[in-house]
Amino acid sequence: METSFAITGKGYVIVAADTTAARSIVKMKIDEDKIKVLGPHLLMAYSGEPGDTVQFAEYVERNIRLYQIRNTYSLRPSAAASWVRRSLAESLRSRHPYSVNLLLGGYDTSSHDPHLYWIDYLGTISEVPFAAHGYGSYFALSLLDRYHNPEASLEEGLETLKRCIDEVSKRLVVSPGKYKVKVVDKDGVREVEI
Amino acid sequence: MTQQPQQHAFNPYTENGGTILAIAGADFTVIAGDTRQSEGYSIQTRYAPKVFKLTDKAVLAVNGFAADGNMFVKKVKQRLEWYRHAHAKDMPIRSIARLIQTMLYARRFFPYYVYNILGGIEEDGTGAVYSFDPVGSYEREACRAAGAAQALVQPFLDNQIYFKNQTPAPGTVFPQHLPLSTVLEIVIDSFTGATERHIEVGDGLEMYVVLSKNSNALQGLRADAHSFQEVTSTADGERVFVIRRDLKKD
Amino acid sequence: MNSLVQRFSTSSSTPLAALHKAAKVVTEEDDDFSDAAWGSEAGFGNIAKGVPSFAVPAVADPTAFLRLHTDDHADPSCRIKIQHGTTTLAFRFKGGVIVAVDSRATAGSYIASGTVKKVIEINPYLLGTMAGGAADCQYWETYLGMHCRLHELRNKERISVSAASKFLSNLVYSYKGMGLSMGTMICGWDKTGPSIFYVDSDGTRLKGDLFSVGSGSTFAYGVLDQGYHWDLTDEEAQELGRRSIYAAGHRDAFSGNTVNLYHVKEHGWEFIGNYDVNKLHYDGPGNVAGSPGHGYGYDIRVEGLSSANPPVAAAA
Repeated sequence: METSFAITGKGYVIVAADTTAARSIVKMKIDEDKIKVLGPHLLMAYSGEPGDTVQFAEYVERNIRLYQIRNTYSLRPSAAASWVRRSLAESLRSRHPYSVNLLLGGYDTSSHDPHLYWIDYLGTISEVPFAAHGYGSYFALSLLDRYHNPEASLEEGLETLKRCIDEVSKRLVVSPGKYKVKVVDKDGVREVEI
Repeated sequence: MTQQPQQHAFNPYTENGGTILAIAGADFTVIAGDTRQSEGYSIQTRYAPKVFKLTDKAVLAVNGFAADGNMFVKKVKQRLEWYRHAHAKDMPIRSIARLIQTMLYARRFFPYYVYNILGGIEEDGTGAVYSFDPVGSYEREACRAAGAAQALVQPFLDNQIYFKNQTPAPGTVFPQHLPLSTVLEIVIDSFTGATERHIEVGDGLEMYVVLSKNSNALQGLRADAHSFQEVTSTADGERVFVIRRDLKKD
Repeated sequence: MNSLVQRFSTSSSTPLAALHKAAKVVTEEDDDFSDAAWGSEAGFGNIAKGVPSFAVPAVADPTAFLRLHTDDHADPSCRIKIQHGTTTLAFRFKGGVIVAVDSRATAGSYIASGTVKKVIEINPYLLGTMAGGAADCQYWETYLGMHCRLHELRNKERISVSAASKFLSNLVYSYKGMGLSMGTMICGWDKTGPSIFYVDSDGTRLKGDLFSVGSGSTFAYGVLDQGYHWDLTDEEAQELGRRSIYAAGHRDAFSGNTVNLYHVKEHGWEFIGNYDVNKLHYDGPGNVAGSPGHGYGYDIRVEGLSSANPPVAAAA
């Protein structure tokens, strides 16, 4: 089952998503990147209904880019999260709603703090210090209640993420094999190996 | 058209409303129930007792499906009578509790749709309340409400008996056990309150008071405050009283 | 045909036949002890068959009848609500077995009780946990306790945890398909040392070092797995059990109220304590061994910490 995690730390957000694309009982692809880079300091992990996910993620990606081109600066994480949430909420009330769950992580270069938003397909939004989607959340959230440290260094943050991934691998029946992990901080966005 | 085999759903259950509760004190227990019996929006009778004296130290309140409840009480009483004949004494309340568990569980695959609350005096003289689910899981507690207005009454009891969400005034502590007069007031308030807010509760209130041997819980009760009727039947020392009051009839 | 296979096979055609067979299996095993063990029959033992004999409705499919009228955790509209929702855990470590459970019972979204004893003290050295149908667990584990005592009397030796759990497993398996619902861990200390068996009403029986059962089990596992290793001290192990049930109480709506903690050692089980989940959240377990000295709650633990990372110049 699809699982994604995100963790804030001292001056950064780590976003992780599994890399499997499944159809029925078959793994169609095992290295799919389900984390979009929406801007110089903004990441979005997406999961949900196949088809909807990429369509919606690309729609968001292009609109955030359009804003940047028009205004020469990009949306701050809180503004981007509000816009994305509203897009989903409007979609929900349309003939064919997107079924997409999101984790939006960004670094606000003005206030120098990381922001993480948990957003579901119904348009529910919540700013949180850590978040998860999918069955993995049933194992990871209690773990993060226990181990998450808002002032953790990136190394410590990745260590905690590793705990989550290990726990899900250990306990979830249909656990994903690999994860892609991206970090956003004051220096921008980059992928990291775990 | 082809004839389909007709399957008739066997439904031997209904819900007859009403509410019961029991509160244990240090050396007494109060077991109470309203007397309204209804089905849907119709009142079948304004006086159908839900609380029954089993022995001089045990009183059983039953709620849910009245027919099952009455049958169940009848069978419990029968078993207790056999016990009396064999042992020349009344069964202790903790044994009655276990008996009720096995009797309910014997119907695990065809349950009595009944919620039971057993109240009375333990062999050590303390007040006891045992509450059951329909298939016999049970627990000893200090107080319990069951039935239609359970969700209205139980939070009130939690607040007044267990002092939940209350902080004692500086330099004071909450009493361990409340006096009988206070408990009776709480019971009456529970039922008048439930009658105001629940359509299936009302008409009459029956409160059974079981007193331990040499209990002086009655002292300090104003003689005219309640109409006590003694229903004790043995000289064992425990005493049972019933107090009847009116509840609103609309 | 092998009589053992016959007794425990599930190939009987109707549920009713299955039930009769189940009752027979149980009575056969009980032929040599008096009904009086199940509460005095007062000389009327022939009328009041104390040993499990169950009434069934006179319908073609009693199982469907039961499913229709009782809460099979899916349908909240049915009349007879069987209590569901739980977190229980048990793990083995060098110092014995830790057993920890919550105390919440729910009927739909109503919290029917916050003081349920989900650890059933079968005897001074055997514990059983309760998840699923409260009555099923209470009744059959009490019944198991009687048989453990009979084993002692007959064999002048305490029953092994393995044998006790196998007895329970065979027993509930004989009722398979009849609607029993239990997920239990039988924990104890015998000749082989500390041991835990997971037994459920499907008939599964597993020996293991660490189990968690119930709606909140995933949340408990999240904390438990990460903190677990064999060489835990007694204090660390008790703290881990307590913290894991707290985690489930905090994250799972159907679990909570209080934590009951037990420790099984060589000479039997010991009750360690009862802890209010809300108190654990804000204040922690208090002055007990292994306590972190503060509340378990996330907000309490990280109070005053910040993820903001202003450059030194901006901060000034």
